[in-house]
Amino acid sequence: MSEGKTEGLKEANDALQGRREFLKNVCVSSAAALVAAPASTGAAAETANPDADVTVSEFFQGHFLLMSDEEKKQAIARLEKRYSAQYRKKTTVSNVEAPDGVLFGYALDISKCIGCRRCVHACVKENNQSRHDPEVQWIQVMKMPKGNIAFTAENLDKGYPEKSEFGDYGVQVGGNAYKTAGLSTEDAQNYYNDELVPDRDFFYMPVQCQQCEKPPCVKACPVRATFRDHAGVVLIDYNWCIGCRMCQLACPYHARRFNWGEPKLPAEEMNPKTHYFGNRPRMRGVMEKCTFCVQRTREGRNPACMEVCPVGARKFGNLLDPESDVRRVLATKRVFRFKEEFGTYPKFFYYIG
Amino acid sequence: MGNEQNSRRSFFKKAAAAVGVIAAAAGTKNLISASSASAAGVREKYEADVASQERAVKGNQLVLMTDDEKKQRLDDLLNFHYQELA
Repeated sequence: MSEGKTEGLKEANDALQGRREFLKNVCVSSAAALVAAPASTGAAAETANPDADVTVSEFFQGHFLLMSDEEKKQAIARLEKRYSAQYRKKTTVSNVEAPDGVLFGYALDISKCIGCRRCVHACVKENNQSRHDPEVQWIQVMKMPKGNIAFTAENLDKGYPEKSEFGDYGVQVGGNAYKTAGLSTEDAQNYYNDELVPDRDFFYMPVQCQQCEKPPCVKACPVRATFRDHAGVVLIDYNWCIGCRMCQLACPYHARRFNWGEPKLPAEEMNPKTHYFGNRPRMRGVMEKCTFCVQRTREGRNPACMEVCPVGARKFGNLLDPESDVRRVLATKRVFRFKEEFGTYPKFFYYIG
Repeated sequence: MGNEQNSRRSFFKKAAAAVGVIAAAAGTKNLISASSASAAGVREKYEADVASQERAVKGNQLVLMTDDEKKQRLDDLLNFHYQELA
């Protein structure tokens, strides 16, 4: 009887010992994992991103426009540190504000453009876009048959609204009514690969963000990551963008590009002079688009696409200044507007000189 | 002797468990952070974006503005701008 009891106690003790041992093991291994995991992820981050805690701070930062001056300074410093380490060159992230008394506008002479695509490549280079798989381009050049352009300028002012019982508000008659009086983008080719340009039977029309005065993309953004600055340029806070692509759907010109993958920007090709809302390297899952080279234009320089154009087809300037190139174009040249304009009031004008 | 063996075995057990937990944590992290789509899938998505832009742009028509229209357009732009500033 007593022997049996001792045996039972021993078994119970063994079982308890085994459970205790098991729990001890679990606790020790959990503690080890807790200590080791951050160290291992830290080490992994060290290779991919030399300043892991910066990323965490970035992740939790607010909208740049709503930050205090001190917070802005910290955010800029974090980015400069990270980019400098990542691309192995001293990188500056500017925060220069838009100048006062300016409303930027752009004009492009279709009759001069030779379709060389220098603007496309200058834009990619200047704005640190993804270079391969795929190369993200903010400007697309369309090649169109010359037959697509037709207008009789002398008839432009001869049309009048048809009389009706409600007054003179009827459909347009006379002048260019019932005729094509402009330019159609039908049969345009986006991926022409000519050895020599221009092709004399075609004309070329580069398309990019139209910097609308009433931008539908801004209205569509649920978090106000995209906004219009006081110089009329539509910008994006890449850190605040949630990648919902509502703006892309809202843009009637489809001028926005979404980073489906991590942009591939080789360190040696990276432009180290950047702006927070402009050409600083973007991340996967955010939207990007033309900013009229905000890093240049806010410092009084011209956009890269305009600077590189070999035939002077591009004009950039202040719409508030009657002496600016864009205002002169509007005053003296034959300027087009999109037929279906959706009330967006683009500040990018196509014209014929 | 028995105790010694026991402690060594227990040490190896703990080490193995710890390695297992770390591996599981790393695996989970990779699962969460890795792109769900392959490189080809990503390329397809980029191409779909470009194709939709082409469709949108190719359906466009541009019409010449009359002098009145140009003046009206400029006035509208400037008015909107000043309203925005105000």
